[in-house]
Amino acid sequence: MVVVPVRHYGRAVAGAAVLLVLLGLVLSVARNENLDFAVVAENMFEPVVLGGVGLTLLLTFISMAVGILIGVIAAIARLSPNPVLRSVSAGYVWFFRGTPVLVQLIFWFNIGIIFPRLGIGIPFTDVTFWSVPINDVITPLNAAILGLGLNSGAYIAEIIRAGILSVSKGQVDAAYALGMSRRLTMRRIVLPQSVPIVIPPLSNEFIGMLKYSALASVIAVQELLGSVENIYSRNLRVLELLIVASIWYLIITTFFTFAQRLLERRFSRGRAMVGAAGGVRA
Amino acid sequence: MTDPTPAAPPPVEPERPFVVEARAVVKRFGSLEVLKGIDLSVQRGQTMVIVGPSGSGKSTFLRCINRLETLNGGYISVEGEIMGYRRQGDRLYELTDAELARQRTRTGMVFQQFNLFGHLTALQNITEAPVRVLGLDREEARARARALLATVGLEHKADSYPAQLSGGQQQRVAIARALAMQPSVMLFDEPTSALDPELVGEVLGAMRSLAQSGMTMIVVTHEMSFARDVGNTLVVMDDGRIIEQGTPAEVLDHPTTERAREFFSRVH
Repeated sequence: MVVVPVRHYGRAVAGAAVLLVLLGLVLSVARNENLDFAVVAENMFEPVVLGGVGLTLLLTFISMAVGILIGVIAAIARLSPNPVLRSVSAGYVWFFRGTPVLVQLIFWFNIGIIFPRLGIGIPFTDVTFWSVPINDVITPLNAAILGLGLNSGAYIAEIIRAGILSVSKGQVDAAYALGMSRRLTMRRIVLPQSVPIVIPPLSNEFIGMLKYSALASVIAVQELLGSVENIYSRNLRVLELLIVASIWYLIITTFFTFAQRLLERRFSRGRAMVGAAGGVRA
Repeated sequence: MTDPTPAAPPPVEPERPFVVEARAVVKRFGSLEVLKGIDLSVQRGQTMVIVGPSGSGKSTFLRCINRLETLNGGYISVEGEIMGYRRQGDRLYELTDAELARQRTRTGMVFQQFNLFGHLTALQNITEAPVRVLGLDREEARARARALLATVGLEHKADSYPAQLSGGQQQRVAIARALAMQPSVMLFDEPTSALDPELVGEVLGAMRSLAQSGMTMIVVTHEMSFARDVGNTLVVMDDGRIIEQGTPAEVLDHPTTERAREFFSRVH
């Protein structure tokens, strides 16, 4: 008996059509006389561009660290029995999620207009022990870190809160019943178990941050986008240099997507992997 | 919100026969009164079994003993200390979180849903609190944990994670975890209700030998044969009150209230 599978003519036609359109697009870019790929190649490893890549990574890592620190504190405050802490945390998330990050960056960059000096003194009096011009402290890079960190902290607070709530109430009761304090229970029982839950959304946030960091170019930070802008403002090869930046962004995000997979595997200890042979590391 | 009105805090005496004493315990959830004045005393080395229809307040009462729930009236003392308070002269000062945690080390609790810590192995589940709370040396805690695992027949599962254990095994690890704190009294909150029928026996067996070793126990359960064989005292609760109390044989064979008779006829 010969078995004849169903022929999916529709699929073949749709696939061919899509491939044709893609081919057309690629050719129109590749054979475009107004695009000079030699310029792309020349600028890929320009010291200015490499410096931009480095600054983008630095800005992303530090802003992310600031965001995670603030996010953990805000999440714990949100779940605390203290109504003042709860409301302040909710207000923080509301404000920083509710305004555009670009606006926040420009705000921090211009903070010197309303607070010319930063110092230590006695509140509500004119007594000042020590102060510096705020523009010495809030450099463009620090303004970018503040803006990006405070903004992502608001998103990360919600991610961490979800992670904390994912740990069963029963385990918290068990820890209390054993004589563990609230703080110890949070640190030893709840937070470690929220880690595997929060890694995928946090990685997402990290990759988002890599790209949001490009916004810092508007406040004179020479990160990746800022560095290529610097070059194309002189040679006017705008698209070639944007391609250079895009290739670097893709390389970095691809790398961190793999890193995320490794992290997820590392932190899946003890979780729902019973069936898989050797799935759980002892 | 909690307004405990201790009637007469127990006098301090060296050889206290009662490990747990509850006086006029009242607990409300919102407008619902779950416990309507519970009085009972548990003697050292004895096993008290509490039964009753669901919603009668048994589990809530157990959670009041180690103050996972706060009281709205009355008091509960463990080893002569009022739970949740410190006595100074004729005043009671509410304990801070750290002080309360310290006080809770006297009571061990076993839950219906086991509640093992999912990210820790069986052995780590047992050593966590002794090391972190009592400050026990790590090696000593491990040795003690292995010995406890052996008493519940699970020495070969020390390095397994909870998700790799059956319900009965998880519950036995949970018993060992509570015992590692060397509590004065063990509280069991329906420890076999979430188990497949064929796994109930292994957990009841572990509890039986624990009772025989002289541990003071309060057991909320639906296992009537366990109540009869192991319990020294049987308490029947209904609608937030104690309606029967006595030796298991007495209560089971000659209940004095219609409600208790009715309840036994349903569970037997």
